[in-house]
Amino acid sequence: MANEVYAQSSKNDFNTNGGQILLYYIDDILYGIEIQYVTEIIGMQPITVVPGVPEFIKGVINIRGKVVPVISIRHKINQPEIPYDEKTCIIVVELDELTVGLIVDRVREITTVLPTDTCSAPDFKSVNQNQYIQSIIDSNGEIKQLLDIHKLIME
Amino acid sequence: MSRFESGMESMVDMFIYESTSLLEQLDQIMMKTESNNKFDEEDINEIFRIMHTIKGSSAMMGLENMSTLAHRMEDMFFIIREEKPVIESIETLYDIVFSSSDLLKAEIDLLQDDDSVPTDFSEQIKKIEDFVVYLKTGKMPGAEDAGNAEEPEVSEKPEESEQPQSQAESSAPADMVKIRVFFEDNCEMENLRALLLVNKITEYCRELKYEPADIETDSSTAKQITENGFLIMFNAAEEDYQHIIREIEDAINVKSYEIVEEEEVPAAPEEVSAPAPEEKKAEPVPEQKSSAPAAAVSEKPAEKPKPEPPTPAQTAEQINNKLAQKNNHASKGKQSLISVNLNKLDQLLDMVGEIVIAEAMVTSNPDLKGLKLDNFQKASRQLRKLTDELQDIVMSIRMVPLSGVFNKMTRIVRDMKVKLGKDVDLVFEGEETEVDKSIIDNLNDPLMHMVRNSMDHGIESSQEERIANGKPAKGTITLSAYNSSGEVIIVVSDDGGGIDCKRVMEKAKANGLLTKPEEEYTDKEIFNMVMLPGFSTNTEVTEYSGRGVGMDVVRKSIEKIGGTVSVDSKQGEGTNFIIKIPLSLAIVDGIEVSVGSSIFTIPINSIKEFIKLKENQLFYDTSKKEIVKIRNKCYPLIRLHEFYGLEPKSHDIYEGVVVLVESEGKSACILVDELIGEQQVVVKPFSPMFNRYNIKQKGMSGCTILGDGSITIILDISNIILDN
Repeated sequence: MANEVYAQSSKNDFNTNGGQILLYYIDDILYGIEIQYVTEIIGMQPITVVPGVPEFIKGVINIRGKVVPVISIRHKINQPEIPYDEKTCIIVVELDELTVGLIVDRVREITTVLPTDTCSAPDFKSVNQNQYIQSIIDSNGEIKQLLDIHKLIME
Repeated sequence: MSRFESGMESMVDMFIYESTSLLEQLDQIMMKTESNNKFDEEDINEIFRIMHTIKGSSAMMGLENMSTLAHRMEDMFFIIREEKPVIESIETLYDIVFSSSDLLKAEIDLLQDDDSVPTDFSEQIKKIEDFVVYLKTGKMPGAEDAGNAEEPEVSEKPEESEQPQSQAESSAPADMVKIRVFFEDNCEMENLRALLLVNKITEYCRELKYEPADIETDSSTAKQITENGFLIMFNAAEEDYQHIIREIEDAINVKSYEIVEEEEVPAAPEEVSAPAPEEKKAEPVPEQKSSAPAAAVSEKPAEKPKPEPPTPAQTAEQINNKLAQKNNHASKGKQSLISVNLNKLDQLLDMVGEIVIAEAMVTSNPDLKGLKLDNFQKASRQLRKLTDELQDIVMSIRMVPLSGVFNKMTRIVRDMKVKLGKDVDLVFEGEETEVDKSIIDNLNDPLMHMVRNSMDHGIESSQEERIANGKPAKGTITLSAYNSSGEVIIVVSDDGGGIDCKRVMEKAKANGLLTKPEEEYTDKEIFNMVMLPGFSTNTEVTEYSGRGVGMDVVRKSIEKIGGTVSVDSKQGEGTNFIIKIPLSLAIVDGIEVSVGSSIFTIPINSIKEFIKLKENQLFYDTSKKEIVKIRNKCYPLIRLHEFYGLEPKSHDIYEGVVVLVESEGKSACILVDELIGEQQVVVKPFSPMFNRYNIKQKGMSGCTILGDGSITIILDISNIILDN
């Protein structure tokens, strides 16, 4: 419950104040994640499968002695899995003392987003569709989808 | 922390830590004396010391209410110590001490809250004062009475100050050693730091004076101390000199100190870095004496018998000698303990983990493949040995015996015994069992709830009832702890009436907690229902239980640290609450086995043997489940790959290895692909993210990082057998 409230407020913060986001690709579509949650970006690691957890949790990896679960963003947004390559990255995020790795196809850069660049997420969310979009960002002639990190991890 | 200036957080932490442990110590002493029914002189001195320290440090933190309360307690024990009055209503004394200790504890808890307001202790203080009057009636001279009741502004604080007030001499007696202490620049509140220092060394000194004298009350002395240093004059037994010097050296924020010599050349102990001492005329107010001063009011310290009054010259030499032999004299257990921030230990552990991994990366580096490197091998073996030892040491640092948590329960039982009028013994077993510090911290509340529960619901309310059931009149609650297959098991058991299945069932039905037909519930399931939220068979809500919250909280907080709680009960004989917690950082001896591409670790203590099956050993039971027969005993076969839905190397059971495992009296055979090897592993809990997927029930107790950095999952055999 507390998480939801927190997520809500930080979301509003971002939509009103803007901020820095890390851009990454799934296929050729550009996504963003608020930089405040990102602790590091690492290359693909050997993943240890944990049986009995939902499929989107790919398993656990070892980050300097810490056992961190990794989530496939692809799976979360209903894209078919593709083999990992040298561009595949794990974005390590930390929220509410929970450390999680997010597998993405490749990362691009960190960019600053002005509040005027953001528009709120489309109103056609459903269980299978667009449920993780926090806002749409249109800057430098490119569209980026900012995903709601709390929702991505908590649900 | 709005109540404290920024930059004081670490001091607040330290204060909280120190005061809490002191109060716990106080409780223990009181508990001991209560059961022995008498106060030793030593106990009184110890209580005195505790209250004195709390008084001093809370004054330093600006917590006036705590400081005053502690001061009054100190006064009270002063009278008890000095006057040795015959106390008729000893219970009142215990009540006062316990309630004061509770108030102080509650206040300390409040400190951790940002915007708490200091509690008003005046009522409690009034109580103490009344008791003091009672103690003193007709015995105390009026002058001292006044000294205790009000708080004179100057030079009053330390305990025996009332007595030698007449001695405002202008210089210290010749046989006193003078030490000038300088604090670090900008450390602030020098006067209070000086006071702390004084408190620390008081116990070693026969006499102690210091300048400026009114450091406790007058904060402007801070400036004086910054400019001229803090002059301590003391006289102590020979062997105590080194303690004093060490205390001064070890004190926080002390930049340097020097021994001031009047007639001789200054003795130069290690760290003299301050400017040459300006000899100032000392104007000390004699303040403290250490041991119980049976001395008459007018007696001057200088006239006291002293075993070997050392001259300053001797003293300096002695100090130097002592310093030289410091290590040979590591006496008084005290100095061998330090308190460390847990975060630092966490970091240390992470660091060691990384070293181990880095070591594996170096020694099994692919670049070295095929090279013949004898010296390298030798060196890397040495490195391996050292990192192993390092790892062991770091682990052991974090392990704390359960006795601390257990001891706190004595207090609860004591209080409840009085309130509920039940006579109960609390027995400890295996309290030396060690658990990781982070787990210990989370055990306190659940255990408290459980002990309360046993006291309130478990033990029968009347002795007649117990006797009628053929039980001793006195009830027993047992707290026991032991290690078992990679877990610590803590059992809270009582010899009370046990859980009444029928009543539980009725209650559950009434509250709509049943999820399946009534007759399908096993006893065990019924017992475990008492831990559902909103469940209490107590018809009345008492101070201690009955709200139906407690056991649910217990379960939640135990699950938070990765453990489980279960209940076992026999009607008429008693109830056991069994907590199983993983040794989150404990080292487990395990066998690594592979299933397909996954590697699992099976704790070695649950493995009985490994078997390559022969064809005549396998058959099927009526429900088509595979059964393995080993030496005339039959065991169910669990194919680990099927259990976890993995792709094995081979489906042929005769190619794999069967591991015969046993846990909690149940045995089974587990089929794996291959054995890899034996290794000591560090158990790491799963990410809290996995909590909602119930993976504990699926037989995974945690994971571990191997030397090469890869992760394996540690299996929990008992849950695998249960779940199969």
